[in-house]
Amino acid sequence: MYRAIRSFFDERGYLEVFTPTLSPSLIPEPTIKSFETEFINPFEERMKLYMIPSPEIFMKEMIANGSGSIYQISNCFRNSEQLGDVHNPEFSMLEYYSVGMDEVDSIKLTKELLNAIPSENENLRKPFLVTTMRDIFLEKTKIDLDEVQDEKEIRKAAESLGIHVPGNESWDDTFNRIFINNVECDISKDVPVVITDYPKQIECLAKDYTDRPYKKRWEMYIDGVEVANCYDEETDKGKIKGYYVKEYEKMEKERKGTDDVIPAVDMAFADLEMKKSSGVAIGLDRLLMTSLSLTEIRPLLSFPLSDMLTQDN
Amino acid sequence: MIKAGQIEKGTALLIKGQPFLCIEREFVNPGKGSAFVRLKLKSPATGQTLSETMKSQDNAEDISIEDRDFQYLYNDGENFSFMNTENYEQIEVPMKSFPDYEYLMKEGESYRVTMWEDQVLDIQIPSKVVYVVTETEDAVRGDTVQGVTKDAVLETGLKIRVPGFIKQGEKVRVNTETKEYIERVNS
Repeated sequence: MYRAIRSFFDERGYLEVFTPTLSPSLIPEPTIKSFETEFINPFEERMKLYMIPSPEIFMKEMIANGSGSIYQISNCFRNSEQLGDVHNPEFSMLEYYSVGMDEVDSIKLTKELLNAIPSENENLRKPFLVTTMRDIFLEKTKIDLDEVQDEKEIRKAAESLGIHVPGNESWDDTFNRIFINNVECDISKDVPVVITDYPKQIECLAKDYTDRPYKKRWEMYIDGVEVANCYDEETDKGKIKGYYVKEYEKMEKERKGTDDVIPAVDMAFADLEMKKSSGVAIGLDRLLMTSLSLTEIRPLLSFPLSDMLTQDN
Repeated sequence: MIKAGQIEKGTALLIKGQPFLCIEREFVNPGKGSAFVRLKLKSPATGQTLSETMKSQDNAEDISIEDRDFQYLYNDGENFSFMNTENYEQIEVPMKSFPDYEYLMKEGESYRVTMWEDQVLDIQIPSKVVYVVTETEDAVRGDTVQGVTKDAVLETGLKIRVPGFIKQGEKVRVNTETKEYIERVNS
């Protein structure tokens, strides 16, 4: 599969890049926990380094510096995620950025990619079912997201479905509660499903629609498992800066006094001349898993962390 | 109280005053979202199952459960009767809470029972059990080739498919989850 992916992008003129796994700063993402380590520089001050949760920070800098369309297969790290059937703290990620394209073009490109990789699972070859988040929510829950734009309204909607919501919960947490409970578990397992137009309340570096409260972001599910995430990348420096400030503050507030690492951020990221582009990130272990019609990634990993932990006990 | 992220298969929880046993647990991390767990819970009282989605950081009320050994005596069509082998106390468990268990448990045999106060939450049946075949037709000559199976009834009344060479009165090892034949047991 890795060879097929490389040929696919090489044929289309994408440059394969290799960026660092250790970074002195990360993009602030309150929902992702980081691994932290230290560079011991003899006779100098030690320097904190973080294992990347995605190569996004470096790849975007390359785009801004005029690299053109690029792709990368790299190992990424996410801490504090519980070891489940489709989670390992170290995992393989494919990221590709297409310069000049938007998220709709990325759907087409991703369809072609799925056709080009080896698969024993017929579902990967089938036409995608593309739906907006609002439509799939309406279908599965009868809730119109347009009408539950604040915390109070979405909480009422959740409670009408029998979901208990603790006090002062944020909009996106309540949204995710409903999404996981009533929508995600019921996503078609017969064809790849692309859910577009994510709520703007879920902060990320995707562009906003100007006429509706959603972002130009999609996620793809194969056999009901989330495998890909895509943005029409934000290029507005003010908005990138705003995201950095807001999300860093949120992360600091949530993590202060806990064991969770608060990774450094580099505000200079917001000053990059980000080009019009669309980026897709695919969890490769999960893609490989679905291509073999498996339901867990363990058999694909030579050394799953869960096994190494049991050996120690 | 425990965090929802600590709940495992087998954890007993109190939900709206009712005991539930976790039978399935899955971690879900929505893209750009907090960590969640999706649970499937079973009420031993009614056999009813419940799906619950909680944030890993949410609190859940766990209850302390205890395993005790009970001897299975008989069933009267509605309840299973068990006896505590230490104090000879008898308890009754509604059969509808444990469908098919009447065909898996042997009268007189001891089983480990998971209890919360006086309530039975689970009856543990080993995953592989040896049963005597009480009814099966003799194989027709020539049908003893590999791969040919036939119906058989076991001592508990469980009906399974067995290979053609198995005779009435012989013992077979059975997977109690799938209710499938595993192998013949000699002696």
